[in-house]
Amino acid sequence: MDSMTPLAAELLHYREDSADTRYFKIRLIAPNKMSAPQPGQFCMLSVPGHGEAAFTFATAPDKQGVFHILVRAIGELTYALFALKPGQRIGIRGPFGKAWPLAEIVDQQLLIIAGGCGLAPLNGLIDHLLKTHRKPQLTLVYGARTSAHQVLNSQRQRWNKQIPIFDVLEDGPDGGTPLSIMPNVIKSMVDKPEKILLCGPEAMMQISALYFLAQGFPATSIWAAIECRMHCAIGLCGHCYLEQQYACTDGPIYRWDQLQPLLRRSI
Amino acid sequence: MNVYHLDSPQRLYQHLAQDYQMYHVVESNGDSVWQKSTHNGVDYEKSDLKINRLPLMSPKSLFFSEQENLFYFDGECFRETLPQPEPFALFAVPSCDLHAIAYQDQFFSKDPYYQARRQQALLVGLDCLTPCSNGFCPTVNAGPGVSPDITDLTLHREATNLWMLIINNERGDNAIKTLALTTADKYSYRRRDQRIESCKKQFKHDEAITAGVAAINKNAVSDAEWQALAKRCLSCSGCTNVCPTCSCFATRDLDTEETDNPSGIVRQRIWDSCLYESFQREASQHNPSAEAGERVRRFWYHKFSNQFAAQFGRYGCIGCGRCEQTCPGTIGVHSVMHAIGDNSLGTNNVEKNSLGNNKKPTGIQGKQSLTYG
Repeated sequence: MDSMTPLAAELLHYREDSADTRYFKIRLIAPNKMSAPQPGQFCMLSVPGHGEAAFTFATAPDKQGVFHILVRAIGELTYALFALKPGQRIGIRGPFGKAWPLAEIVDQQLLIIAGGCGLAPLNGLIDHLLKTHRKPQLTLVYGARTSAHQVLNSQRQRWNKQIPIFDVLEDGPDGGTPLSIMPNVIKSMVDKPEKILLCGPEAMMQISALYFLAQGFPATSIWAAIECRMHCAIGLCGHCYLEQQYACTDGPIYRWDQLQPLLRRSI
Repeated sequence: MNVYHLDSPQRLYQHLAQDYQMYHVVESNGDSVWQKSTHNGVDYEKSDLKINRLPLMSPKSLFFSEQENLFYFDGECFRETLPQPEPFALFAVPSCDLHAIAYQDQFFSKDPYYQARRQQALLVGLDCLTPCSNGFCPTVNAGPGVSPDITDLTLHREATNLWMLIINNERGDNAIKTLALTTADKYSYRRRDQRIESCKKQFKHDEAITAGVAAINKNAVSDAEWQALAKRCLSCSGCTNVCPTCSCFATRDLDTEETDNPSGIVRQRIWDSCLYESFQREASQHNPSAEAGERVRRFWYHKFSNQFAAQFGRYGCIGCGRCEQTCPGTIGVHSVMHAIGDNSLGTNNVEKNSLGNNKKPTGIQGKQSLTYG
């Protein structure tokens, strides 16, 4: 049976991240009751009295059940979460959804394009790849509205010691989107990308994918993580429908060619 | 499968009432509703089981509750609150609603709240022998005769004071073990088939439904046409509430003052509707289905797409016509299928029908029964 009852967890700590995001450190009270999430999977976080919503695991729970999530303050639940003090109880269910396709991207020349909070579902993946990739075949392009809205600054600084990172800001000199710097990014890569991972605003993912598809890049080598409203994460509540699928169980990470028939609109 | 003659359904009812909390349909002020028996079966004495008018609400809520607690938070932990019903029986359920229950059984197969109720339920089906006003169950393989795999017991009216009782499984067999019954012969069973076939023939022609379903699966209905139909959608959730297979829900937290649970904060799930403008709206205000036409299209796609049928072994529509009965904008199943079915035949009637023209399509000859694929 699929329970909708969360496991108890404790808010251990948080640090301010960007202008409107916080990086929360959380501990599961009974770590053995949750299976280990893969990079890209998500949890449902409850703030008692304020509901439940989906957040990606920025890091997976360790043996003590300690993990991190990145949260932007944007609605009732997240405002309530930001108002909590360390030590207070929250609820966690998960892990849910499809993970990034590790087996298909391992040791490949990877280009990751992220925008805004879309870097959070990639945090665990990038850390994982930096530990397991045989060569530093990873390039990150990260777009944000302004420098104040760039998330995961300490992580990006740390990663940048091992991989090239191209930052672009909407209000910056380069014209604003990852696409506007893409020719330079590609030029800088010794080997052309073999696989592309996208996570961020839908328009950003769309124009990025179309840019590479127009150059003959196969749709079967592009993955995108989409964001949806969810109330259950187990394929029942109906909110995250994409045609006959539910993003919570069939996604939220989709291969580009498999995502397209599910979209009535272009994302 | 054992088949018996039964002198009166009331005797069966009173027998079952010894072990089950009974539910049955009662007529009240011209409407009919599912009701819990309050007098251990005595209140069923006068019923004659003539269900020519389907209750507007199916028995859906007896399994998938309109509003129910999922758990409470005691300040430290989250405590699941599963329902614990006593055994109960639904008496004289028509075939369409039994198909809906079978559909929901699949959808909620791993849902502990649904299953806690469903496992306690005995289903007594009733063959329909006259068509109901909006029904088209034969078109979607959902009636009027009850198939044995979707109910424990089946009732069939043979004559004014003679009934047939069909035992479909072990649960049904156990329920009537001590009831004195006479075995029916195979000829009686064959005559049942004949009566059901005769009832099927009395249903009105259903080419519009067939054509509408084909149009949906050929993707032959444009966004503009869905948008034209959606002008009549009030986002009232009437269709999704009465639809026996609709299952979308939302969750909400109630604090101690708002609930009868003194232990702490309660999370409930409540029926939701994909026709609401906010159904998919995210906290960022991004809304993938902001257009009403998009939401109306999705509702009908969910009911009639071959993609969903492949998952469930049947369409999500069981042919009861309740959406037509309840929709204040008159875009229930008959109206919508007329409009989009006509259009797929090359006569653009979406706009015409949106003004109330119920002209039937003429392009498809003969009745077709729909199966998926």
